[in-house]
Amino acid sequence: MDVTYILAQLFNGLMLGSFFVLLSLGLSVIFGMMGVINFAHGAFYTLGAYAAYTLCYVLDLGFGWALLIGPLSVGVIGMILERTLIRKLYNVPHVYNLLLTFGLMIVLVEFVRLIFTSVGKPFETPGFFRGSVDLGFIMFPKYRIFIILISSLCATVVAILMSKTRLGAIIRAGTDDSEMVSALGINIPRVFTLVFGLGAALAGLAGVLAAPVQNIVPDMGSEILVLTFVVLIIGGMGSIIGAILGGFIVGELITLGVVFWPPIAYTLLFFFLAVILLARPRGFFGRAKFFE
Amino acid sequence: MKKLLQKLFLSVLSLSVVIIGWISLGLAAGPVKVGLISVLSGPLAPIGQSELNAALMAVEEFGPVFGQKVELVWRDHQFSPGLGNERAKELYEKEKVDVIVAVPNSAAALAVSDQAERYKKIFISTSAGTTELIGKNRYTFKYNFNDYMLATTVGRWGAKNLGKKWYTITADYAWGHDLLKNFTAAFKEEGGIHVGNDMVAVGTSDFSPYILKAIKAEPDVVAFLNVGKDAVNATKAAVEYGLKRKAKLVYALLFELDIKGAGLELFQEGYTAAPWNWQVNIPGAREFSDRYYKKYGDRPTFMAAAVYSAIWQYLSVVKKIGTTDTEKVIQALEGHRFADMFANPGYIRPEDHLQVASAFLLRVKKPEEVKEKEDFFEIVGSLPAEKVHPPVGFFKTLR
Amino acid sequence: MKNWFHRYWFILPTSFFLVILPFIVPYTSLASEMLIFAIFALGYDILLGYTGLLSFGHAMFFGIGAYITAIVLKRLILSTFVSLTLSMLLAMLVALLVGALSLKRRGIYFVMLTLAFNQMFYFIAFQWRDLTGGDSGFHGVPRPKIGFIDLNEELYFYFFVCCIFIILVLFAIRIVSSPFGQVLKAIKNNEERAMSIGYNVYAFKLISFILSSLFASLAGGLYAIHLNFVPLDTLSINTSAEVVIMAILGGIGTLYGPVFGAMLLVYLKNILSNWVTYWNLIIGILFVVSVLSVRQGFLPLLKEKLQSKLIIRSKTS
Repeated sequence: MDVTYILAQLFNGLMLGSFFVLLSLGLSVIFGMMGVINFAHGAFYTLGAYAAYTLCYVLDLGFGWALLIGPLSVGVIGMILERTLIRKLYNVPHVYNLLLTFGLMIVLVEFVRLIFTSVGKPFETPGFFRGSVDLGFIMFPKYRIFIILISSLCATVVAILMSKTRLGAIIRAGTDDSEMVSALGINIPRVFTLVFGLGAALAGLAGVLAAPVQNIVPDMGSEILVLTFVVLIIGGMGSIIGAILGGFIVGELITLGVVFWPPIAYTLLFFFLAVILLARPRGFFGRAKFFE
Repeated sequence: MKKLLQKLFLSVLSLSVVIIGWISLGLAAGPVKVGLISVLSGPLAPIGQSELNAALMAVEEFGPVFGQKVELVWRDHQFSPGLGNERAKELYEKEKVDVIVAVPNSAAALAVSDQAERYKKIFISTSAGTTELIGKNRYTFKYNFNDYMLATTVGRWGAKNLGKKWYTITADYAWGHDLLKNFTAAFKEEGGIHVGNDMVAVGTSDFSPYILKAIKAEPDVVAFLNVGKDAVNATKAAVEYGLKRKAKLVYALLFELDIKGAGLELFQEGYTAAPWNWQVNIPGAREFSDRYYKKYGDRPTFMAAAVYSAIWQYLSVVKKIGTTDTEKVIQALEGHRFADMFANPGYIRPEDHLQVASAFLLRVKKPEEVKEKEDFFEIVGSLPAEKVHPPVGFFKTLR
Repeated sequence: MKNWFHRYWFILPTSFFLVILPFIVPYTSLASEMLIFAIFALGYDILLGYTGLLSFGHAMFFGIGAYITAIVLKRLILSTFVSLTLSMLLAMLVALLVGALSLKRRGIYFVMLTLAFNQMFYFIAFQWRDLTGGDSGFHGVPRPKIGFIDLNEELYFYFFVCCIFIILVLFAIRIVSSPFGQVLKAIKNNEERAMSIGYNVYAFKLISFILSSLFASLAGGLYAIHLNFVPLDTLSINTSAEVVIMAILGGIGTLYGPVFGAMLLVYLKNILSNWVTYWNLIIGILFVVSVLSVRQGFLPLLKEKLQSKLIIRSKTS
């Protein structure tokens, strides 16, 4: 097998993995803390991409602005949703907020479809990143390198946030026992809102980054969402390390699988998911607490 | 009391729902109803929209038949075979259309063809390429292009003039598979060698894994057996990874819409075939394009021209024989020779209901070569019907 | 006598409605489709509304029913009854396996498992082109004849579907009003308590799961005949999601709720096909509202809160 070729595919797997990392970081923390399986995450991803489109193509701002404003606005939308609707179902079996976020995903996606129509929106690779880094024997598109770098940066920041800051400590404690944390005088509902917004912002960032490489259509979030659930389960719900490692590993698995064993790549993936769910539902890094 | 109110509310609701259904049946219709099913939403929407535009134009410009305006009923099948099937049932059964045209997506077209047979109505397939539609059943007519014709035009010419080693990137659904079959047969006939293939799911945005594989195979020609956004994304990846510098790119289908959306630079020096192009030297073609341009702001694709021609020919036949009776129309269409802005000469073969006409080989111009708006293609050559369409009996026949 | 009337009074108006349905909807095959999805939702309610189990993968049984019926009818050319029965039995077997595994986990893990299995079947069907037609779907499903009744006639086909629908409705009523059904409700209300009483909760859940697959696969089989075609979409998560939406919007736990919901949704989806964008949005919003309010504990909880407030008021005044 050709080294160049394998290297190139591995590189692509890292890029796909980057999206998974950004998405599953948010999902993982949201589930860990609040027990919410957030189907709407797929919609946040979609909103991020459309925000990028609106900012860059309708309002003619630069991509840098999209990177800033996009995730921020999606995060705000997330926080609003959390405060108004999602928190109503915290004290109820998790299954109900799954249905709620599922319904929210449909509503958000249809809103997008209403405003932007189902026709795909164009999005060119931002000028600064056009072209590839030519190492002679192999070419790496600059923009893809950027995606990998940004998501690794975010992952690191989130990991540091979780382990070194007070807020991180509160979140981790809240993941373990939110009642206790509340009893200690911390405004848990506000932390929940913040966490939800953070997760949404990360998903929105993934969407903004995806805009130049993915087809921007209202349905763009659903396929990647299902795959993100796979990452979540395999990596372990509620675990940051699990989300990061799981994201990159699943990204590689899918990329290599599609190239080398296309017939059964996806079937195997879901088979693997079922096996994990049955054998070790907390995944590789998850906490046993969620073992229902 | 509450329960009574609930029941009352429910019955009022059901009643109004039924009334809505009846109202949507529409008011009195003209005696001739033409149905159009196409992709009006999603990434391929511009193609469907162009077909719808052309259909509206055709119905309007043809004028009344039997003293009443021809009515056009259209539905969006979102490029899905399942929806296409359901919409066909709805159009044949509820709207009672006499003929359905268009239906892009080969699997959808096959399903509609089955429904046409069940309901004993006519289906003129203008928008799908699969050769399985040729001679499929009495009620189906294959109009416009087919995969054999596309493959033969580009494949044989390409193997002769562009290079012998071919790599194919195929859309992984019915149409793609049919194209692959026909293309490999075509270029192999001129001594071409198939050095590799990749099946890619429709709607894939990241073609880099496949482009990388293609580069490894060192082909002279890379054929993209897909359409629309897929073709665009594939080309983007080819440029990104430098494949475009190393091989010639060839397209099964390439529309002005794609070039407009992604930019001429991306596609320049690519090759494709088409049964028609708005600049082609057929009497009436330029005028039709200008009328379309005036009305809709861009040039018609050959899909649009085919729909216009199919509807026009159908209505001419109906007017001539004085009835929309399915059997009589079928007999009249069989062996129908005609000349319009789309096909000159055009002919519908009685043995397999295939509409044949010449095909054109197109090269995508470099940006410097463009002289007017949407002047994207150079017509490199044309081949007569006998050379590009399958001989009778190569696929199914009805007799 | 009175008891009998109380339970079965609705039979006359319902039968009347079913008989005239094909004539009051704009086209007959729409009526058939409405009943087909009503059957799907009916069985699903037994699982969700009466046993309290949310499955996000029921399209796999619907799809298996559709494909098996189609393959048997077209390739093996056996009779309608044989093909429908075969597909039903095969689907139930799959339900046994999938259910046995999935029910080992509870809550969201169960949901995820049903989703995972659904996706597995979807991608298997996608790849196994020779058997299923893959992405293009399975074409050319014939409309068979039953004796001298040609099901190619849309009206005859409707009454065929209608008969099956009635039989299944009666069957469903029988299930939920039987002692078995009572145990299901007990499990839904409080699983631990049911277990402590001594019921093999796992077994009851499994049987409920298999029963719901019976309905789903029959619906799928009829759908294949109805369309003369099996789109791959019958196995997709979208279809799984659709039945969830139909059931919840209609009102789970009532049997007639999901039936009504399914029929209404199918009807409106087809009639409003040119305005689909707005339609899906409205459905989504209604769904969200339903989830927020239909949640069993929510309304009584509200009632309790109001009542306790009133009691406090009256005590202090």
